[in-house]
Amino acid sequence: MSAGTTRHRIRLAADIGGTFTDIAAFDVAAGELRFGKALSTPASLVEAIGDGVKKAGVNFADADLFLHGTTVAINTMLERTGARTALLITDGFRDVYEIGRVNRPDAYNLYFRKHDPLVKRAMRFEVRERMYAEGEIRTPLDEAQVRALARRLREIRVEAVAVLLLHSYRNPAHEIRVKEILQEEAPGLFVSVSHELSQEYREFERCSTVVANAYIGPRVRQYLGEIEDRLAAERFAGEFLVVQSTGGLYEAGEAKEQCVRMLESGPAAGVLGTRALCAATGIDSAISFDMGGTTAKAGVIYQGKSLTTGAALIGGYDHALPVQVAMMHIFEVGTGGGSIARIADGGSLRVGPESAGAAPGPVCYGLGGTEPTVTDVNLLLGRLAPDRFLGGEMKLDVMAAERAFRERIAVPLGMDAVEAAEGILRIAATAMSYAVKGVTTERGLDAAAFTMVAYGGAGPLHAAEVAREIGMKTIIIPVSPGHFSAFGMLFSDLRYDYVRTHPMRLSEAVFDEIEPEFGELEGTGIAAVRRTAVAVEEIVLARALDMRYVGQEHAVTVDLPGEYFADHNLEAIKEAFDRTHELRYGTSAPQERAEIVSLRSTVTGILKKPPLARVAEGKETPDARAFTGTRPVFFGGRFVDTPSYARVALVPGNRIPGPAVVEEHASTTVVLPSDTLAVDGFRNLVITIGSALR
Amino acid sequence: MTQIDRYPATDPVTTEIMRNGVLAVTEEMKTNLMRTAYNTIIYEALDFTTGLFTAEGETVSIGIGLPMFIRGMAETVKAKLRHFGRDGIRPGDILVTNDSYITGSHLNHVTFSLPIFHHGVLIGFSCCMAHWIDIGGPLGGMTTDIYSEGLQIPICKYQDEGKVNTLLEDIIRMNVRVPTRAMGDLRAQLTAVKTGERRFLELVNRYGAETVRQSIAAIMDQAEAAARKRTLTIPDGEYEAESFMDDDGVAVGKQIPIRVKVIVKGDEFTVDLTHVSEQVKGFYNSGVTAGYACAQVAFKCLTSPTDYPINDGAFRNLKVVIPMGKVISAVRPAAMRWWMTFPMTVVDTVFKALAPVIPDRVIAGHHADLVVCMGHGMNPKTGEFFLANFGPLGGGWGAKLTEDGVSGTVCINDGDTHNSPNEQTEVKSPLVVECYRLIPDSGGAGRYRGGLGVERVVRARCALTFNAQIDRAHCRPWGLGGGGEALGNSVAIEVNGEWKDDYVNAKVLVAELKEGDAFAVRAGGGGGFGDPHLRSVESVREDVLQGYVSAKAARELYGVAVDPETLAIDTAETTRLRAR
Repeated sequence: MSAGTTRHRIRLAADIGGTFTDIAAFDVAAGELRFGKALSTPASLVEAIGDGVKKAGVNFADADLFLHGTTVAINTMLERTGARTALLITDGFRDVYEIGRVNRPDAYNLYFRKHDPLVKRAMRFEVRERMYAEGEIRTPLDEAQVRALARRLREIRVEAVAVLLLHSYRNPAHEIRVKEILQEEAPGLFVSVSHELSQEYREFERCSTVVANAYIGPRVRQYLGEIEDRLAAERFAGEFLVVQSTGGLYEAGEAKEQCVRMLESGPAAGVLGTRALCAATGIDSAISFDMGGTTAKAGVIYQGKSLTTGAALIGGYDHALPVQVAMMHIFEVGTGGGSIARIADGGSLRVGPESAGAAPGPVCYGLGGTEPTVTDVNLLLGRLAPDRFLGGEMKLDVMAAERAFRERIAVPLGMDAVEAAEGILRIAATAMSYAVKGVTTERGLDAAAFTMVAYGGAGPLHAAEVAREIGMKTIIIPVSPGHFSAFGMLFSDLRYDYVRTHPMRLSEAVFDEIEPEFGELEGTGIAAVRRTAVAVEEIVLARALDMRYVGQEHAVTVDLPGEYFADHNLEAIKEAFDRTHELRYGTSAPQERAEIVSLRSTVTGILKKPPLARVAEGKETPDARAFTGTRPVFFGGRFVDTPSYARVALVPGNRIPGPAVVEEHASTTVVLPSDTLAVDGFRNLVITIGSALR
Repeated sequence: MTQIDRYPATDPVTTEIMRNGVLAVTEEMKTNLMRTAYNTIIYEALDFTTGLFTAEGETVSIGIGLPMFIRGMAETVKAKLRHFGRDGIRPGDILVTNDSYITGSHLNHVTFSLPIFHHGVLIGFSCCMAHWIDIGGPLGGMTTDIYSEGLQIPICKYQDEGKVNTLLEDIIRMNVRVPTRAMGDLRAQLTAVKTGERRFLELVNRYGAETVRQSIAAIMDQAEAAARKRTLTIPDGEYEAESFMDDDGVAVGKQIPIRVKVIVKGDEFTVDLTHVSEQVKGFYNSGVTAGYACAQVAFKCLTSPTDYPINDGAFRNLKVVIPMGKVISAVRPAAMRWWMTFPMTVVDTVFKALAPVIPDRVIAGHHADLVVCMGHGMNPKTGEFFLANFGPLGGGWGAKLTEDGVSGTVCINDGDTHNSPNEQTEVKSPLVVECYRLIPDSGGAGRYRGGLGVERVVRARCALTFNAQIDRAHCRPWGLGGGGEALGNSVAIEVNGEWKDDYVNAKVLVAELKEGDAFAVRAGGGGGFGDPHLRSVESVREDVLQGYVSAKAARELYGVAVDPETLAIDTAETTRLRAR
């Protein structure tokens, strides 16, 4: 190997999903993007990464950065396969984790279930200590008791410990000391203390966050260790970074401690990809629409930035375990290709939320599925070609799908089978449109004004209907929509998010107090960025305050420029808050007093991005090799002879009027009759929605 | 006749799209209300309900909020229609009232309705009820008529053809303790009803008014069909049950009977509340709307618990018999401030009545009280008035035929209502919460154990006035099928280092606490289901391990001899205990 010239020129990204592991590789010197896809290997996830890298035709040894997003953290939590974990908590509060917020969303169901704690009651231990809300000590920490507890935990072979002490966001001294004692008495134990993850009040949410971190910690740590070993064996000499739920990167070492920050890394990376695509194509605001087998997810790019949120509920609203850390703001709806269509008790037609999943899967897979799904419907309507699914690797059974559909849906409803099938598609599309709208409504934004970026296996198949339902005008289907999360990772930056609850009236805000607090948060972030061996182009500091009107309960996050703090400009801060409130809620009260709840700081280490190169435009009419045939597809109440195209043979400048279908390995794009598709300079498919309603 | 014949302007697909559509409308109303709300009860506790109604006031969809407010908005819309007449309601109007005898509840439930017009035709209403933290009236203490409970807003127009009624605003400001909060909540509610209007009109413009109307009619028919189908599975007969409330807070110790009768015949279901107590002097009355709500909540739980949206079609085969003047159909000037407590026990008693015939669908008694308490005073640090409300405490739920009861969860009056985080309460008020925990042995014993109750102990950091209005101390949550009863609700106060634990009921109308004094509120558990001796030994051992059941109770109630230290089961002793 000729050192120096060939080494360290590749940026690798690996996204492990439930079914597939996707690799994106960017060759900096050649300006070339390559992809590899391998079946995920549940027994050894690391194997699939190796396979994918091979398929992409690159070597680990040639890479300077290895970026990774994984479902290992979320799966460990959802599948309950985490460590034997204990919780140490302030005296009198061990049941807070079980009581939660006492709500019962499933309000009329006498068989409702609430959240199921990751740590049972017998493993939750109370610690004698107490802080006041102001951060002053009420009861000093009983260190001897903690020591005794630590020894007991070792005896009962606990692997991980979470620590939640009340008001630690104001004064973490006791949590810090408990951690020290635990490390002294029980070295090797995975210890997680709440203030290191969240410095916001709400003890149940913070408790749930720190327990989740401890519970998944040992497994995530081991997994990342295996990857490090593999990378070393492959003579990888660069930096290993992990994608967080914000889409930002952090160092693998950090990821081994703050595991809960990577729960939603895959979906977040898709939104990042959307942002990169927007930046390259000059789009200001977009909604990402990611549809797979069981769910559809929507995220937002607004004025060039991806929108994040401070907390998420993991595992469905009714029995969710909250996690209070920064995350990409993503809305999810239980509609996917596997969603089952059924007739309910009162005779109504329902689509989902039950899903046939991958096994038994849709009826047309012929793997034992008996209930018709959204995928079966796509097949019946001619949108999917039975012999081209997954590049022809899997033949779909049209007859079986039709039979199931007729027997279970069409006949009982007294409807024509195809008409009912088209109806299922419309029901699914409207249901998804509410999720897509939901992500913007909560912010006071109008979804219709956004561009949609559609990806995931089923996204391009349904995007046109969903966009039309919302009134959106343009859809972009990126290159390799099935690999989009891995692609997105290539455009990530190092990122550290901090929040600290510190309530004060705005009018009484003392900048001399605020400044050191921000300074401390920023210092921690800058140090974290500098610790990584990656060369950053610059470090960007962003400040925000969570604010509300006095008397109001919920706070909004207000992004604020650094000058406002440097200039001690209370008025400008108040105005920015009023504006944010107005945008988000449609009302504001400029004459009323405001207060600060929390300080937020984001430290970003900007990495050099792969440039997205434009390809020279070709002619409008696609090359004859791109045309793969004509088949009847059901549009607007009848079957229409519809041309199909192979995406790989389309080039920039090509234009295709609807109706049409464009097929690629793991995805099919549907162009509706009044819509028009054009291939842009980056080989994206850009669909312009026509005027016809449906 | 099929749906297609009956409703030619729609079809099963459009109907389903509309079902998702109206659900999304009320969901978005909820989102916008929550995010804009000024008070803890709305934002953190989610004590509110949003809904869409037909032009006649029939419920189309109500967002999950307070189950016991299932009728409150529909009756309010109907009353407003009667008051103004259809011609008296015009575009640009927003109607409001908090009339307790219409909403069936207390004056805090200020209810806004916005008539929705399409090309000048009234096509429906969007509504929002939200709990204002203060509506005037006394802080703590007892009331014995509505006039002492705060500001009454008769049915009137908050906005008349676009013009805001500033007189009404002035009246509100002058009658509540924290006007900025009240006006903030008012604005939040306006945001909610306007959101409902905008989104519903989007559906109408997209699909056509007639299609929307017929689809809604079809959705209601589907709900009715489902409810009838499930009612048919309940054996015909007359079923009765009885329970009681502790007292009305005035005639202390005088029990208040709750007797219900359920008549099932074919696919018709009747709830007869004729023999529920007469209205009482203390503030535990509720209006007839709440009486109907009791029956509807119980019926919904038994017939279509997971079907949404909640709409009036689902109740067409439900008949409610209820004379006026009962404690759940009280008439002016009955005091209504604590309206929510008694109806919950009525619901539980309906389940009790049906337990012999549909044991697999009912639930043993639950703690049936919000177990809220409040403290107020002047915060010496800020010099400002504070009103601390922790929200519902959460308590135990009854066991089922095949499952244990759930612990530490809000009672049936409320659904998606949250407690307030203790850290947040301590930031806002000069208090220290000493514990918030489950109470061991508070769940009724049974083959399936009742859920555990919850205790919170709070110490005052300055002088404050405490009050609690809790019931069901004496009528403890009952077991079913041989299951044991649970711990009841209670309250205690520590003054000068001494706990007073022997109140005759769980009502402390006014207690002055000094700095360093404390109070404790305890929510009871849920009743057990089935003979405790039939509970698996392993489940009892697990309960002892987790500390839900003491070794003593395991022995005495479950007949299981388990060593509290080693958790070893003494098999011989257990066999002997269980043979008895």
